[in-house]
Amino acid sequence: MKKFFAVSLAAVMTGALLAGCGSSGSSEIPVIGISQYAQHESLDNCREGFLQGLAESGLVEGEDFVVEYQNAGADDNLNVQIAQSFSAKNVALMCAIATPAATACYAAAEDKDIPVIFTAVTDPVEAKLDSGNITGTSDKLPIAAQLELIRMLQPEAKTIGIIYTSSEPNSVSAIKEYEALAGEYGFTIESVGVTQQSEVVQAADTLIAKNVDCFSNLTDNNVVDVLLSVLEKTNEAGIPVYGSEIEQVKKGCVASAGIEYVSLGVKTGQMAAKILLGEASAADMPYETITEYETYVNADAMAEFGMTLPDEVAAGAIDVSAEAAQ
Amino acid sequence: MELLISTMMQGFIYALLSYGVYITYKILDFPDLTVDGSFPLGAAVTAYFMVNGMNPYLTLPLALLAGAVAGLATGLIHVKLGVRDLLAGIITMTALFSINLQVADSNLAIERSIDTIFTAAPTAVLGDLSLTYKKFIISLILALVCKLILDWYLQTKSGLLLRATGDNDTLVTSLAKNKGSVKILGLVIANALAALAGCIVCQEQRAFTSTMGTGQVVFGLATVIIGTTLFRRLSFVKATTAVFFGSILYKICIQLAISMGLPANLLKLAMAVLFLLVLAAGSWKGGAKKHA
Repeated sequence: MKKFFAVSLAAVMTGALLAGCGSSGSSEIPVIGISQYAQHESLDNCREGFLQGLAESGLVEGEDFVVEYQNAGADDNLNVQIAQSFSAKNVALMCAIATPAATACYAAAEDKDIPVIFTAVTDPVEAKLDSGNITGTSDKLPIAAQLELIRMLQPEAKTIGIIYTSSEPNSVSAIKEYEALAGEYGFTIESVGVTQQSEVVQAADTLIAKNVDCFSNLTDNNVVDVLLSVLEKTNEAGIPVYGSEIEQVKKGCVASAGIEYVSLGVKTGQMAAKILLGEASAADMPYETITEYETYVNADAMAEFGMTLPDEVAAGAIDVSAEAAQ
Repeated sequence: MELLISTMMQGFIYALLSYGVYITYKILDFPDLTVDGSFPLGAAVTAYFMVNGMNPYLTLPLALLAGAVAGLATGLIHVKLGVRDLLAGIITMTALFSINLQVADSNLAIERSIDTIFTAAPTAVLGDLSLTYKKFIISLILALVCKLILDWYLQTKSGLLLRATGDNDTLVTSLAKNKGSVKILGLVIANALAALAGCIVCQEQRAFTSTMGTGQVVFGLATVIIGTTLFRRLSFVKATTAVFFGSILYKICIQLAISMGLPANLLKLAMAVLFLLVLAAGSWKGGAKKHA
């Protein structure tokens, strides 16, 4: 009985897998496989933007394309299997959100002609995603603009504290750039590397003890995920924190010169539309880095630190305090 | 069909890691967390040397060696310094995280122009098969060869001692053998296998990431338990065979959960339910008998 049950279960499972590949192969409408590495507001914004970009290019979901969306929940094994399922189903295009997803999709498409389009990848060259049937958009931080913004809001500040995860490639390359550029704006950088999320709050204590004048954030997942508890500490110590994108400013950072992930996604969607329409191929399109950025401020958070917004900043800034989560 | 092929291929590669966990967890009764560090260590060493031009086949023994050293470290910490088994593994695993970052930074990609064991010249004997099928065949061969070597080893005198140490270590002592060295040997073999799995995953993915070790111990334990539970009553099935199928079944469960098209947030729940189903299927009759 047991053996029979086990065998039949195995048979049903295998059958289901086989049926899974059969059904998508027979459909006429091209499938876009979206592989998003983790559940994360910025990455969600990328995905929404991507779909918007496709729509803006005149493609209608359900008619011109269908979407298979998968999220690995930051699990590397799952991430790989998602990419391989897209490859096995021969989707028309893979959209990879964040570097690990892009790496896995690109590997899964190795000897196939499936174009891969990525977004939210900071350094496509370092990740070897810059040649082959692949293109996309990079979310490299506008670090010079951020330093300039901090200088304008805190003319007296000398040191900037930054917490980063030493195993996140995006963070490591951002820290290097911060250190290279800080001198030009008269800052020194105090950085503390962590290996996991539980160490972030301790790192914040370390930086506060070092009397840094402000904190500046990267797009470091470990730090962003516990941002609220970092802010609790820094608010108590009277140290303002600068974010790296809009969602962080909504959570209580004073300001940010950052990219906006929905527009990043829109740009990516438009590139994908060109590929689907046959107007261009991923192999010929170079990846794009967003050069324009927005200045986001949180007027409520600034008021708490007695900071005022200089007119030249206020002119182009977007106040998100009304949308703040708290 | 291709989906099944690539899913099974994953199962073959990870079976190597499962054999390792089988040795520590099942044979030695040693909860070894080193695996979360030795698996990515194998990948880091592989990525580093391949980017620097090493032949892909040479990275296999190199990864084995690196993993063996990691296992040796845990073994020495446990046996010679008297640190508890769980903690000894945690210490090595923690240290390896930094060592891996030193070897290959936070991630290291292998360009397509560099040949892996799946694309190098000798694979031409497989003809014009697509890469998916080549990967399937090569990883199947590797998993079977390791299984056969392991099966052979467990029949040797040294292998029998290893099995005796987990079951009844006083027996080992009474045979005038040092149970400490036997334990160390088991850890060395287990982590060498885990690192070899890391090496092959790295070549298959063309990338090392510092986080790739997270959860590998859990995976290994799950596959060992799934495999040995399902084949418990079939005494002619070797434990290594059971573990081999456990690994494949695990990967199929994950792929099924993905293919069900559930909302992303429910994916892990679906995986948990599938594992439960498999385990329930394996122990259904056994459970009923006990109550009767």
